[in-house]
Amino acid sequence: MNAGPWNLLRIVVAAIYLFILGPILITAAVAFNESNRSYFPPRGFSLKWWGEAFAPQWVQPLMFSLELAALTAIVATAIGIPLAFAFQRYEFPGKAIVRTITLGPLILPTLVTGIALLQFLTVIGLGRWLGYWALLIGHVIICLPFSVRTIAISLQAMPGSVENAAASLGAGPLAVLRYVTFPIIVPGIFAGMAFAFIHSFTDINMSLFIAKPGQRPVTVAIMSFLDFGFAPTLAALSILSLLIPLVLVALLGRFVGIGNFLYQEQGRG
Amino acid sequence: MADPALRLQALVKRFGAHAAVDGIDLAVAPGEFVTLLGPSGCGKTTTLNLIAGFLMPDAGFIALNGKLVQDLPPFKRDLGMVFQDYALFPHMSVADNVAFGLKMRGVSREETSTRVAEALSLVKLDGFGARRPNQLSGGQRQRVALARALVIRPAMLLLDEPLSNLDLKLREEMRSEISSLQRRLGIATVFVTHDQGEALTMSDRIAVMSDGKIEQIGTPAEIYERPSTRFVASFIGSINIVPAKVAEVPVNGYARLETPAGPAIAQVGGAASGRSVMLTIRPERLKLAGAGGAPSGAVAWSARVGRVVYTGARLEVQLRLADGSEAMAEATNDGRINLAEGQGIVAWFRPEDAWVIAGA
Repeated sequence: MNAGPWNLLRIVVAAIYLFILGPILITAAVAFNESNRSYFPPRGFSLKWWGEAFAPQWVQPLMFSLELAALTAIVATAIGIPLAFAFQRYEFPGKAIVRTITLGPLILPTLVTGIALLQFLTVIGLGRWLGYWALLIGHVIICLPFSVRTIAISLQAMPGSVENAAASLGAGPLAVLRYVTFPIIVPGIFAGMAFAFIHSFTDINMSLFIAKPGQRPVTVAIMSFLDFGFAPTLAALSILSLLIPLVLVALLGRFVGIGNFLYQEQGRG
Repeated sequence: MADPALRLQALVKRFGAHAAVDGIDLAVAPGEFVTLLGPSGCGKTTTLNLIAGFLMPDAGFIALNGKLVQDLPPFKRDLGMVFQDYALFPHMSVADNVAFGLKMRGVSREETSTRVAEALSLVKLDGFGARRPNQLSGGQRQRVALARALVIRPAMLLLDEPLSNLDLKLREEMRSEISSLQRRLGIATVFVTHDQGEALTMSDRIAVMSDGKIEQIGTPAEIYERPSTRFVASFIGSINIVPAKVAEVPVNGYARLETPAGPAIAQVGGAASGRSVMLTIRPERLKLAGAGGAPSGAVAWSARVGRVVYTGARLEVQLRLADGSEAMAEATNDGRINLAEGQGIVAWFRPEDAWVIAGA
């Protein structure tokens, strides 16, 4: 009847998607420029900037970031599983404090967490030790909330009676964990892992403070290169580092069904 | 004498200062269907969880077939349990759900597949083995839960409000199905519900619970017709309760009573003369007649007709008794009842249809 408000809504939604997708598409297009300038629309057509993006200068930080993100995701998950169980299942003194500290990085600006970690490491005399391990610690700190949260949510979503049912059918505590609890929360575990990976892979704030010159994540490398202006190489590189998490999430969604966690779909019945 | 399938003795479970289960004694005979009935918070589910081993009692004993189990964890108790929310394993097929208990017991692959097929057939779900729980309707899920609990041939069956998540029609269907299955298998069963209809139709005996205690235990007819307390009387069905005094020492189980609505004679347990008691009459046993229409030997009170509620097969007639208190009569709608609000009428009952309980 009254199409006015609906049309307005359509325009707003279209604008939102335009602003989400537009920059990505423009960046992708810029990477095909013939010259060393970031023209849009691109002038001429060339793949040389893509070739450039695969030069050791860029592949090295890219691989470094991938490795760091993978390791961060694994460590954060390994710590996150017992933490999620503790928060979800048990009462212990100081629980609220421990939980706030664990989830804190979620609301603290990473910049602040980064500076704080840097200060802390210097004060306790490990300043010289800064580098890979400090970077890993920093990344685990900021990624841990993601794995803890998703695992805790999947634990919470599981009806308690399911574990009781397994116990009444003769399953001891370990068998309950192995055959019932764990398989049910596996999508949550992988979703948390994916979130941790992506958060680490895209982080720059923490890395800026903690990374040693020789060991630079790709985000820091891009940032430093930006001092010389935005080149088509960077555009190609940006698209590459955008595709990696996308592919990862798609693969996980395909094989473990983490879609429920990412897209808020209706859970299993 | 054979041991009962289940014996609870002086069972106590406290949560903080509150005793959720406050000294329960109960024996369930082999093959018997016993219902724990009560309002929410009465301790019936806590009692079931104590039997299953999900909770540990603070005091008392639980014996299954003569063996004390109160210190055993649930997985060593050999009980089949059906949960209110079915508690099917969402990541397993129907067949794997049913097979779970057998797998935990190390039953061979061939025997497992035979027994799973048998169990699914028992609950009329042949051919559903490959489905996932989320592809089933509520009723079908409940059947899978039942098959999963029965396939392990447990010492007894525990049912925790298994029908409360089903819609009305399905609930009645499952009610008779669970009953007939239980009878056929002859498995001792404890059933927890807040639904008196389920309790009355399915049980061999009902234990009515309130405040962590068993108020009364007996057959459905005993519970309905000879309630021992006011709580039991009013929790099951509707009932008229009239305060009364015992006028004479009871003879042959009948007592002469004085009530505000008029003198009465009623069946009595052990009430003595002069004591304040409660006279109870079920609405369907309170009859209506015109002046002088009550049969001889009946207790007849004069009353006025209040609202008449038409329910189809029956009429619910609200009455105002001589002292102004209200009562309800339920009459079969035989097409000949013609009542007007405010009309004078005689409400009568036979002494054997009225039952005296203790009370102030």
